[in-house]
Amino acid sequence: METFLVVAGLIFLLVVFMYNTLISKKNQVDTIYAGLDAVLKKRHDLLPNLVASVQEYMVHESITLEKITELRTKAMTHSLDSRETIALEKQLSSMLGNLMVAVENYPTLKANENFLHLQATLSEVEEQISAARRAYNQSVNDYNNAIEMFPTNFMAGFMHLERKEVFSIPERERSSVDVKNLFQK
Amino acid sequence: MKPRLASLLDYYYESMSPTLQALEEKRLAILSSLKKAALMLACLGTVLFFVLSRTNVFTPLHAFLLSAMSGFLIFMFIYRHERAGYDSLFKDLVIEKMIHFLDPSLIYAKMDSIDAHEYERSELFNEAYDRFSGKDLVRGEIEGVKVRFCDLHVEKKVRTKNGKEEWSDIFSGLFFVADFNKTFHAKVVVLPDVAERSLGILGTWLQGVNPSRGELIKLDHVAFEKLFVVYGDDQIESRYILSHALMERIVAFHQKIDKPLYLSFVDSKLFLALHYTKPLFEPILTRSLLEFKSIKDYFELLMMITNIVTEFKLNEKLWSKR
Repeated sequence: METFLVVAGLIFLLVVFMYNTLISKKNQVDTIYAGLDAVLKKRHDLLPNLVASVQEYMVHESITLEKITELRTKAMTHSLDSRETIALEKQLSSMLGNLMVAVENYPTLKANENFLHLQATLSEVEEQISAARRAYNQSVNDYNNAIEMFPTNFMAGFMHLERKEVFSIPERERSSVDVKNLFQK
Repeated sequence: MKPRLASLLDYYYESMSPTLQALEEKRLAILSSLKKAALMLACLGTVLFFVLSRTNVFTPLHAFLLSAMSGFLIFMFIYRHERAGYDSLFKDLVIEKMIHFLDPSLIYAKMDSIDAHEYERSELFNEAYDRFSGKDLVRGEIEGVKVRFCDLHVEKKVRTKNGKEEWSDIFSGLFFVADFNKTFHAKVVVLPDVAERSLGILGTWLQGVNPSRGELIKLDHVAFEKLFVVYGDDQIESRYILSHALMERIVAFHQKIDKPLYLSFVDSKLFLALHYTKPLFEPILTRSLLEFKSIKDYFELLMMITNIVTEFKLNEKLWSKR
């Protein structure tokens, strides 16, 4: 009887430990996602000013500017889940990259003080987004490992926990949105 | 442009060499008096040994130990007395001149150090200390970045198995503080990764449950992760501070220096501690000052320290720090 109680007690402790580990990893992902969301919002706040300051110069880039405005509106007004946010931010990063490449063709814009200020601020926000993305990806990786590895995978199955998607940006787009480097050319 | 070794060579022969002649004479005089003192003490010790061993109070072994110890203590007293003045003069004529040669705006204070409050603020070493001493404080601006560094020695009292009290080092070496190029509010501490290297996965687990250090930050840079363990109080801001580029530079710096390296980022400042087993700017009595080689080592050390600013690109500031 005593042995049974000891074994039952150990199993109970193991279940509690696994449950708490999974919940803590899930919460960690949510907390870091909130941080990522905050820095993405910073970028969204900058975009109307950026678009306003460049549109009078960039006559041939109206499609890119419209797309940026549209994506920003979508990100601000729709309640998106993490998967949709990640997809939308990837598009936005790509569009911003295109815009910054196009800036090279507008020397008067490159000399505009207001634009330079915005560009530098955007460069800093991009650094913060990059940090938040790395933190988010690490927490998602830890969480995904926990729900797929033995023995926590059984517990994760009971709890209906699902894999989460990492926030990756293709290498080409990542480099094109590196405003700081572009700015220093 | 920063001075190079070749220009130091010119400076050494043109400006330093004439004044170093007098210092070299003093060094030779000290060596000569120390030799004489050692000879005299050896003779006195031998006499003392024979006198003591002939009495019934001491055994020959006790008599030997007592006379050897007395001789050694007197010699150490003479040694300290003789070299105190020489050390001070050496720092005025060699170290200070070299620092001004490197960057005339830097201020050198041979008796000062970074204060204990700043050391504690860095959170690099959490152990309670009993003795805090430092010297050779250098402060000023390098490439527009405020820096301070000194030779620091922090110790604690420990009790040995025999019940005796001894001084044990917590930290000994270079302590460097500089303004960081980003504004941040979180604290990040980067320490040598001893546990993971020696214990593997168990070491990583132990690092994760270290409550005194804060949250373990796992970073996505393989070489950096192998060398260091990182603690911080904000997962995102820790990565904002430790960008990929900075981690790359820290790894390269560590490989070049090859000494235990500790870093922390607190209140928008970088704290760096580099462990040295010997004092940084003390003269070596047995080395001639008239040989450029003995001066070159100090210069290279100073160059390495002042280059930290450019190696870590602390001078390339982001928008919020301009």
